[in-house]
Amino acid sequence: MGGPMICAEGLGMRFDLGIEKGFSLKQGFVDLLDPARRGRGRRSEFWALRDVAFRVDSGEVVGLVGGNGAGKSTLLKLVAGVYKPSGGQLRVCGSVCPMIELGAGFDPELTARENIFLNGAVMGYSRDFLLERFDEIVAFSGLRDFLEVPVKNFSSGMTARLAFSVATVVEPEILIVDEILAVGDLAFQAKSEEKMVSMIRGGTTVLYVSHSLESIRKLCGRALWLDHGRLRLSGPSAEVCEAYRAAQSGEAEL
Amino acid sequence: MRLLRQIRLSLDKYRFLIRQLVSRDFKVKYKRSALGVLWSLLYPVLTMSVMAVVFSHVFRAEIPGVSYPVYLLTGITFFNYFSEATNLSMSSILANFSLLNKVYVPKYVFPLTKCLFVGINFLLTLLPLYAVILLTGTGLNWAHLLLPYAFVCLFAFTLGMSFLLAAAAVFVRDMLYIYGVALTLWMYLTPLFWDLSMLGDPLYERLLRLNPLCQYISFARQIIFTGRAPGALSFAACALSAGLTLWLGAAVFRRKQDEFVYYM
Repeated sequence: MGGPMICAEGLGMRFDLGIEKGFSLKQGFVDLLDPARRGRGRRSEFWALRDVAFRVDSGEVVGLVGGNGAGKSTLLKLVAGVYKPSGGQLRVCGSVCPMIELGAGFDPELTARENIFLNGAVMGYSRDFLLERFDEIVAFSGLRDFLEVPVKNFSSGMTARLAFSVATVVEPEILIVDEILAVGDLAFQAKSEEKMVSMIRGGTTVLYVSHSLESIRKLCGRALWLDHGRLRLSGPSAEVCEAYRAAQSGEAEL
Repeated sequence: MRLLRQIRLSLDKYRFLIRQLVSRDFKVKYKRSALGVLWSLLYPVLTMSVMAVVFSHVFRAEIPGVSYPVYLLTGITFFNYFSEATNLSMSSILANFSLLNKVYVPKYVFPLTKCLFVGINFLLTLLPLYAVILLTGTGLNWAHLLLPYAFVCLFAFTLGMSFLLAAAAVFVRDMLYIYGVALTLWMYLTPLFWDLSMLGDPLYERLLRLNPLCQYISFARQIIFTGRAPGALSFAACALSAGLTLWLGAAVFRRKQDEFVYYM
């Protein structure tokens, strides 16, 4: 265990729901005629995350649990740099491999071969790295016969296999995983799960989101429980999972 | 200085991505067309021929002392680059939202790759332009070596405008339509088919000369038709308008880029 790789203090992420409506001519006139209404109803803020503090040390595997809309994906996107925090501080040291949604930047018109390079570039790989690992990616995907076929003609399973193979070829310093363990058919599911487990156990720092408490307990040393954007509990994964399960079944009974 | 170094580092780091995105645009553009990249040459040649015929034969337009087709094509080549690149750039952030919402990619690469992609097309359209220069007997001269200066200014100005428009389009979608109208107006205010001297009013002439596109086009025409290098004032004016616009566009884009995700 080394120094902190991810360090968050008072971390918050605010979305302005009013923006969705935005400024429109209609709203403009309504506000003009009725000054009392001006500014009201436009300020509907939503904090997807609020006052979250945690740190992840080098080599740690940390799981994230919580219900839908608890802020797990928002947290991952903050760490990946997709969002900038609206409050607090977040320090991330080292290269991040965001396996949040696979196949970002796939162009359906391009062939599998072209997409490997395009997607690789989007993920931040260098050209030399891709050339070196090209065969490994193709071999893992098992799509060697389809390299020159446009991805739009792929089945969704095939696309997922390709995306998974490109995404997992790296050895990042920080690995972010959002429940993508199983893609493709049964054989590929087993293979991809094995690959993920070996990546997670490979000594890199991992932030892992899953609804499967089983796999969190198995893979993670520590876990964070997010509840409506706030950090509810943090500690050894077995403990957190137990508390979370208890709360969940409590809710179910109600 | 530190900013420049940051920019260089970032460009270095994302050079591969930029290359991939430009080549993606090329591949996708010409997929399934029988003539493929040839269209990059043919399309401008054909549209230019149409315009040349319309303006020199139907409207009987002419500029005293110069070959009208060359005059027209120079202007159109420059203006088309600007209009196509800014149009593509403006929607580039919106079009790549699904990507920007998944992985971290510096947002400036999208307007930049569009400007580069159209830039390659622009260089290809120079071939028909030069063919016309030779065929009409306008001929070449040593001052042509100065033309790249005008290209660089045009590129910088276009990139600056692209940053501004791309950012604006994220916040106000109406920009996409407003700009379409503005661009049409801009086209007629730029002396593409006509000459500033036709206005016969020195005040209007001076006003319209402030148009950066007019500066770059005049710069190129002076070289092509007189064979003499433009004056120091022209050089300075081109650099100033291009530099200022690029700086302004980049500054606005940089300040606003973190807010993009909320508005898409």
